[in-house]
Amino acid sequence: MQGKSWRWILAVLLAAFALGAAACGDDDDEEPAGGGGGGEETAEQFDPSTTLGKIQERGEITIGVKYDVPPFGFQNPQTDEVEGFDVDLGRAVAEKLGVEPKFIEAISDNRIPFLQDGTADLILSTMTINAERAQEIEFSEPYYIATGRILTKTDSPIKGLKDLAGRKVCTALGSTYEETIREQAPKADLRLVDSYSECLELIQNGAVDAVSTDDVILTGMIIQDDTLHMVGDELTTEPYGAGIKKGETQMVEFVNGVLEEMKQDGRWQEIYDEWVGQYVDEKQEPPTMTLQEAIETTS
Amino acid sequence: MSYVFDPSNWEWLITGNNFRYILEGFLINLEIAVIAMVFSLIVGLVLALLRLVRNPVVAFVAGLWVDLFRNLPLIFLILYMALALPNSWRDAWEENVPGWAPEAYQSGFVFAALVALVLYNSAVIAEIMRAGILSLPRGQSEAALALGLSYRQSMQQVILPQGLRRMVPATVSQLITLNKDTTLVSIIAITEVMRRGRIVTSSNFFTDVQAPVLHVFLFIGLLFVVVNYSLSRLSRRLEAGQQERSGTKMEAIGGLEDQLQTAEAR
Amino acid sequence: MPGLALISFLQDHWDAYVSGFSVTVRLVLISFAIAMAVGTLIAALRVAPSPGLNRLGGIYVETFRNVPLLVLLFISFAGLRRAGVDINAWTAGSASLGLYTGAYVAEALRSGVFSVGKGQIEASLSLGMSYRKTLRHIVLPQAFRTVISPLGSLMIAMIKNSAIIGVSLLALGDLLKEARIVVSNTFQTDEAFFWAAVGYLLLTGLATLLVRGLERRYAIRR
Repeated sequence: MQGKSWRWILAVLLAAFALGAAACGDDDDEEPAGGGGGGEETAEQFDPSTTLGKIQERGEITIGVKYDVPPFGFQNPQTDEVEGFDVDLGRAVAEKLGVEPKFIEAISDNRIPFLQDGTADLILSTMTINAERAQEIEFSEPYYIATGRILTKTDSPIKGLKDLAGRKVCTALGSTYEETIREQAPKADLRLVDSYSECLELIQNGAVDAVSTDDVILTGMIIQDDTLHMVGDELTTEPYGAGIKKGETQMVEFVNGVLEEMKQDGRWQEIYDEWVGQYVDEKQEPPTMTLQEAIETTS
Repeated sequence: MSYVFDPSNWEWLITGNNFRYILEGFLINLEIAVIAMVFSLIVGLVLALLRLVRNPVVAFVAGLWVDLFRNLPLIFLILYMALALPNSWRDAWEENVPGWAPEAYQSGFVFAALVALVLYNSAVIAEIMRAGILSLPRGQSEAALALGLSYRQSMQQVILPQGLRRMVPATVSQLITLNKDTTLVSIIAITEVMRRGRIVTSSNFFTDVQAPVLHVFLFIGLLFVVVNYSLSRLSRRLEAGQQERSGTKMEAIGGLEDQLQTAEAR
Repeated sequence: MPGLALISFLQDHWDAYVSGFSVTVRLVLISFAIAMAVGTLIAALRVAPSPGLNRLGGIYVETFRNVPLLVLLFISFAGLRRAGVDINAWTAGSASLGLYTGAYVAEALRSGVFSVGKGQIEASLSLGMSYRKTLRHIVLPQAFRTVISPLGSLMIAMIKNSAIIGVSLLALGDLLKEARIVVSNTFQTDEAFFWAAVGYLLLTGLATLLVRGLERRYAIRR
């Protein structure tokens, strides 16, 4: 009697296990590799002779982002993953194209060369739209409007541009602020470095008196160190655009399409709140500036 | 002073992933150094032979090449290669790097870094080889010729094997320099130990434990000193061994960064 | 003609290149002075009759020869500043390069001293000269003459290493840094780097000529 009931239980267990495994197996088959938006829309397939088609064939799109600029692009040393506003935008583009996003580090210096020589398909790296750059590469419509500000320690006597004369100001080599500071504060002692993480280090240890760049990058610094604050008026308006290789009009249209969708369906607002909104007490609407307006504003 | 030894400033070492993260980065530096050295030995040998060739024009041009790359800063070469190398080469690299290789190698910049390192280092190796060959007593080549060996044969069977063996300690020494030089590739955004050190110091965003710059880089410095010191002891032991075995040795002024002299070459 | 374009490029950015060149020269000269001073001191430790001092000198040499210059720069600038030391970029840069090269100078001088021959040291000590006087009047003058060539090589190595300071977070505007700034403004990589290369080769070439000249006048061939 005991033997029989043991076998019964075993059989039932096995059957349950088999059913369960089959059910799970089926789910796995249905879920697309990227997880997330499980298979509602299939990506539009592009002709393999086009750039987008080639990316689809490869199965991945290479996106250059910053690795050290929270909250837009930064690498989490605990997980080795890159995260941030730009990164999430990149993921959205990749998803729409039906490919995996591959992120690489793009410092200010090599963003444009990366596009020109094909190292990156797309640059989402806090890059300001301006006429000069627009001659070398294509830009998407603005996806974020940052403003140029000055960052100092809370106990610093610097309150604005005029106070920068004779002071050491840090910004990144190859960024638009090199020129901005030279023009607007010519007596400032400009210190150029490779990346803003170095600027943060320099202002924290007192080697420079101020850092000047987009307010969002400065916000990222304030998040890490609350003895810093922003001062002065808006120096410049900095519309961020996605960078694409010159001539790739199809890709520009595609990226613009994704951006427009995100602005309409609330995803832009979600990303903003997660990465910026929760740290800065400012609300922002998705930008309505056009590329043309952006270029005019920054010239 | 107490700032340096305060244990709370060293807590980051045992927190989270930091120790492993930095050590992994350090391994990447060592790997890059070894790969660069292997290729530099090959290219360096070619260069050294070209300099010893009978044809004066070839020898002269090879000499010019070696002098050029020994006199330019390595960081200059690295930056230039990163900016100027054709994209097709970098694409080819990125396509062929296997997926299991660490993230740092996926970047096409590693190729640029290796090209720069090899261009520079092979020139140094060529000089070491030339010095090694020239440090052989004249008697060797004379005896070889007297025995009826042709120039090529005497090179292949007598001179080169002995000369190359003599350069082993100097090559190990040069590996030390190469190890240190690999930190320069951090400038072109390769996530080796220097980059990782900086990321760890700025990762206060994620953990509560502060990783101070001073301590992180003292640690990184320690890693290098330990490995390089061991290599230098190895090099000295090899040199002493050579002296025992052959009675003479290549006179190297210990440890001078890639500037080498022998009694003959002066 | 490409040559003319190159020359006009230089003219356009002349100020930047001259500024960078002079910063490099100043950096090298200051660092070399530090290296000679420190190197002499350490060499003295290394050849002293006391094993304790020898080891002290040895620790210095092994530490500074095996650690990368870039790591030293981070420690001496960012690290020290965080510890409360108000060191500026010039001091940190030249001190790092000087201390680093000083280790090599010490070794070169040590070889030079040994080339002088124990007999001379013993003789002068037995004549009643103090160790310090022996070093100053007998050993070091001769040692210096033997080491002109290695020191010259170190000078060249220093010129090359100075470029590392510019790319580090010390943000000094040396020759390579100025060239990179020119590239960021014009995107003309080849031309900008060409002239930077010329600058560095000019410096190393001058150093080589200087060494050869000094050798001809002073060096002892052994």
